[in-house]
Amino acid sequence: MPLHIALLELKLYVLDRGELALSIALPIALFALMYGAFGGESSFSATADIVDLDGGAHARALIQRLDSLDEITVRERAPQDANAALERSAITMAVVIPDGFSQSLDSGAPQPLLFRQRGSGGDTGQIVAGIVRAVAQRMSGEAQLRGTVLDATSGSNIERADVERAIAETLERVRQNPPIRVVERAVHDERPSALDRLVPGLLVMFLMFSITLGAQTLVEERRIGTLERLMTTRLTVTKLFIGKFLSAALRAMFQAVILLTLAFAALRIGGLVDYAELLALSVCVAAAVSAIGLVIGALARTRDQAVWAAVVFTMFMTVFGGTFFDVGADGPLATLARLTITRYAIESMSAVLSAGESLAQQGVGILALGGVAAVALTIARALFRVTETGR
Amino acid sequence: MTAAQDFLTASSLHKAFDGAQAVDGVSFTIRQGEIFGLLGPNGAGKTTTIRMLSTVLQADAGDVTIGGFSVGRQGDEVRRLIGVCPQELALYPELSASDNMIFFGRMAGLSGREAKAAARQNLETVGLADRAKDKVDKFSGGMKRRVNIAIALMNRPRMLFLDEPTVGIDPQSRNHIFETVESLRDGGMTVLYTTHYMEEADRLCDRIGIMDHGRLISLGAPRELKARIGDPDQVTLESVFLDLTGRSLRD
Ligand SMILES: Nc1ncnc2c1ncn2[C@@H]1O[C@H](COP(=O)(O)OP(=O)(O)O)[C@@H](O)[C@H]1O
Ligand SMILES: [Mg+2]
Repeated sequence: MPLHIALLELKLYVLDRGELALSIALPIALFALMYGAFGGESSFSATADIVDLDGGAHARALIQRLDSLDEITVRERAPQDANAALERSAITMAVVIPDGFSQSLDSGAPQPLLFRQRGSGGDTGQIVAGIVRAVAQRMSGEAQLRGTVLDATSGSNIERADVERAIAETLERVRQNPPIRVVERAVHDERPSALDRLVPGLLVMFLMFSITLGAQTLVEERRIGTLERLMTTRLTVTKLFIGKFLSAALRAMFQAVILLTLAFAALRIGGLVDYAELLALSVCVAAAVSAIGLVIGALARTRDQAVWAAVVFTMFMTVFGGTFFDVGADGPLATLARLTITRYAIESMSAVLSAGESLAQQGVGILALGGVAAVALTIARALFRVTETGR
Repeated sequence: MTAAQDFLTASSLHKAFDGAQAVDGVSFTIRQGEIFGLLGPNGAGKTTTIRMLSTVLQADAGDVTIGGFSVGRQGDEVRRLIGVCPQELALYPELSASDNMIFFGRMAGLSGREAKAAARQNLETVGLADRAKDKVDKFSGGMKRRVNIAIALMNRPRMLFLDEPTVGIDPQSRNHIFETVESLRDGGMTVLYTTHYMEEADRLCDRIGIMDHGRLISLGAPRELKARIGDPDQVTLESVFLDLTGRSLRD
């Protein structure tokens, strides 16, 4: 019969769209963020705002070459337009190709490109400037090469057109097959160690939501009288208590499975054994938080009291247990963290994930979590009341 | 009429909350197969009495036997005999009517199949068979009350406790509930029915105990009670209460 109660509550949980959204959509959103920060191959891309005052062949070629780059999208602007955009900070940098750019490139005395920017131009502006500079230098190098070769061959009997074609072909070949290539490789398989902390942290935080939910349903059911009504059936108080404990634990494990599956599938933080070991540790956390939820639910008189107590408790554990930052090995923060179950849970889980330790090596963590579960359960059972005044 | 068998006997029940006597020495018997009414204003002690009779609240003093079993010492046996419909809607609003009933049925010890069959039958009884799969949350007040009653029938009880089952509902649902209770009684069920509506008690109950301030101040068939102060066809239970207490029942 206690199992029926747990299944009923799991059903209620799944039927409640708000709760379900919280337990599924929120982890997906968080993991998407983390995937963006740690997981995905991120590449630079930006828009280059260009003012072409020259309009000559070389200016067009520069623009076209820039536009052909994957990381750059060219947006040509009229001079006033670019000024206005800079003025109102819509853009941080504009590249101005000065009048006479093409002509002077041919004559071998290139005109400087002008980078107009707000302040330093910003990170993006600086990167764009660097790329434009590199392309322009390559072009001027090529122009010089052309000039030199044409000069050297001008007296010979080689056709000027043939020389031009040979130069163009060579340059094109070099462009296709540059002698020095830059290879980018994302650090995908060397997974960042931050995830090994962050994923357990988030997992434990979500498991802790079970405290609020458990305390809240207990107070609510006492208020609407379903608990008392259950006392007119064949259920004993102890069976009802076990049922409520299993309900909360089952809900928490439902959450853990969703979260871990997402984390392992999307962020590839570990293998199947890690997954199983983390699930096992989650069972310990679920037991501890479910028991704590029952204590709060037994002490709280109103739903609001239950929610506030649970939220404050969860916040304290989450923040000081080291969900978001490493609390270190000693110092006041580390001492404070030792008072939270979060720390033991995260410590054990990240040891399994990053240090490759086995479940058997997590004795301290499991003992701490199991101890909290046992103590909290004992207290909760002593305090457990079906109604304020009933049996 | 020969004296029918007593099914429930309560003798000098007492219950105090924080020193205030909510139920103060109440004694009565309920005969097998009758509808017994507890009539009294809000705060009279009706709910507290029902909670003690139905094993969920321990009396400070007094004895109750139901179907030959002691409520104090044989709670398990008593709970098999009784169905309780509490004053508040004690059900899960997010579940369908039938899922609510199946759950409470299983808690009453029915197997899955038995619970399903009983849910169907009892929803039929309260006239909600066509709404079985609908969420209780979407029901009108009257329909929720009927589900509340139907749940109490899940364990096929021999005695039914109904605590103010018609508070705040439409006349149609109310009539439906009256008919349900009468047909259950006609099928042999013993019923304890509390209300603060005297017309209801008058129409429905075979015998009535009038409660005020935790005490049972009068007991008898509606006609007997009315006959004590005048022509039973003329006076109302309202005037009976006024005569007994000097106050109106509606206050
Ligand atoms: N759980 C409780 N705690 C404290 N006082 C209560 C409690 N339940 C009932 N009472 C008090 O006992 C008296 C009888 O209440 P109750 O049995 O609910 O009356 P009724 O059902 O006739 O309206 C009231 O004065 C009520 O305030
Ligand atoms: Mg009442």
